[in-house]
Amino acid sequence: MRRLHALRPAQVDERGQALVSFCGHCGQRPRTLVAPAVSRVCGHCGLGLVLQAAVDLAPRHDEPFLVVDTSLSVCAVSAAAEALFAIDETDAVNKHIADFLVPADANAPSAENLLTLLVDVASGSREACNAVVRPRQEFGVRFRARIGPCGSPQAALLVLS
Amino acid sequence: MRTLKTSEAAALLNVSPNTLRAWERRFGYPKPERSAGQHRLYTHGEVAALRDALQQGLSISSAVSRAREALSTDTHTLVGALSGFELDRADGAMESALALRSVERAVEEVLLPSLDSLGDRFGIDSAPWAFAARWADGWLRRAQRLAPPPARRLAILVGDATTSELDPDALALRAFELFCGRSGVRVMALPVAGVSGLADVVTSLSPDAVVIAGSHRSDDAIGLWAYRVRATAGPLPTALFRSSHRASPVATTGARMLPPAPFSAHRQVLALIDDSHGASVGEAAPLPVRDDEGARLEAQR
Repeated sequence: MRRLHALRPAQVDERGQALVSFCGHCGQRPRTLVAPAVSRVCGHCGLGLVLQAAVDLAPRHDEPFLVVDTSLSVCAVSAAAEALFAIDETDAVNKHIADFLVPADANAPSAENLLTLLVDVASGSREACNAVVRPRQEFGVRFRARIGPCGSPQAALLVLS
Repeated sequence: MRTLKTSEAAALLNVSPNTLRAWERRFGYPKPERSAGQHRLYTHGEVAALRDALQQGLSISSAVSRAREALSTDTHTLVGALSGFELDRADGAMESALALRSVERAVEEVLLPSLDSLGDRFGIDSAPWAFAARWADGWLRRAQRLAPPPARRLAILVGDATTSELDPDALALRAFELFCGRSGVRVMALPVAGVSGLADVVTSLSPDAVVIAGSHRSDDAIGLWAYRVRATAGPLPTALFRSSHRASPVATTGARMLPPAPFSAHRQVLALIDDSHGASVGEAAPLPVRDDEGARLEAQR
């Protein structure tokens, strides 16, 4: 007789999208699949907090990513993003996102678009979307960015690929 | 002030002790003190502030930043109280600071930065600065009186070259005296202007080191004072504290320049004494004046 396992309730957001947990520093999934009720600190690296985002938005493998709040301040920088931008998370936190990334989409009418998009996503009034960005002070380098809500607390996740 | 061992602090934060030590290296927070056996001792207030910040943070860095802000409220309160000439509120702010920190850290992280802030805002020749400096001087003296009696049979003679209690260097010197006293070392601060009868005091104190603090007296006055001390006590390890414009004597006499922060300065002086006790008397650093110069000053008098 087959043993039956209790089904773990799927974690979904208010829109019904499946959520996945990941570390805000190393990007790895937590060791346990249950909600991190005891500690939000990543069990792998110990240097990030466990966040949640939609499955198709969450960073895969070692994709670099940043987390931005509604005031457009950088709240988290992944280890891969630290290497990519040659910055330390401790120096980047609380700085404006425009100090690191600017829009690189030729069709975008102004730089305000990216910022408006990030504020809307961080405040939960906009769905996930894509944008093209480049590091500030650097030309000829472009990244496709997936931007969408993450949390908690609610913020905008910007995954570069 | 309640302190926690590494395992207790880690349990409060639901992380491993290794993670806590990794945070200390990467973020510089929580910043533990050391017990007599060199074990880490975390202040409960710092750990509790971080635990609360982690609940609402998006990263460890942002949580650390938030926890630091929460702790800096004592500084804001003290600056506000002293700006508003409210002595009771100022005392209360220091009480709050002491609930979360050791006396040393409360002085270095709350009292002195608050005074710096007021000095920058009003100027050190202003009435608000005078009010704040007098309060701080009184607070430091009270804390010094409450320090345990000297236990280490060590003594430091301080040549006070500050102007008055309104001199910012004088407050740093009071803090230095407090920290040395709390380390079990006897400290005696004497103005460098008073050389009459100095030999009796030096003989009675039998200092293990000499510190010259402040930069508001003439080189001649300091040189004469140092010469008299050396003539009585012989060569002793010597250090300069808050003597910003005296770079040249350090180069010519070997006196050590102490860091401007009182806590680091007191640690270095204790290390200097330990070193000198390990070395022979002849190898000790001389006082910051040459024999011929001291004799010349003596002759001038």
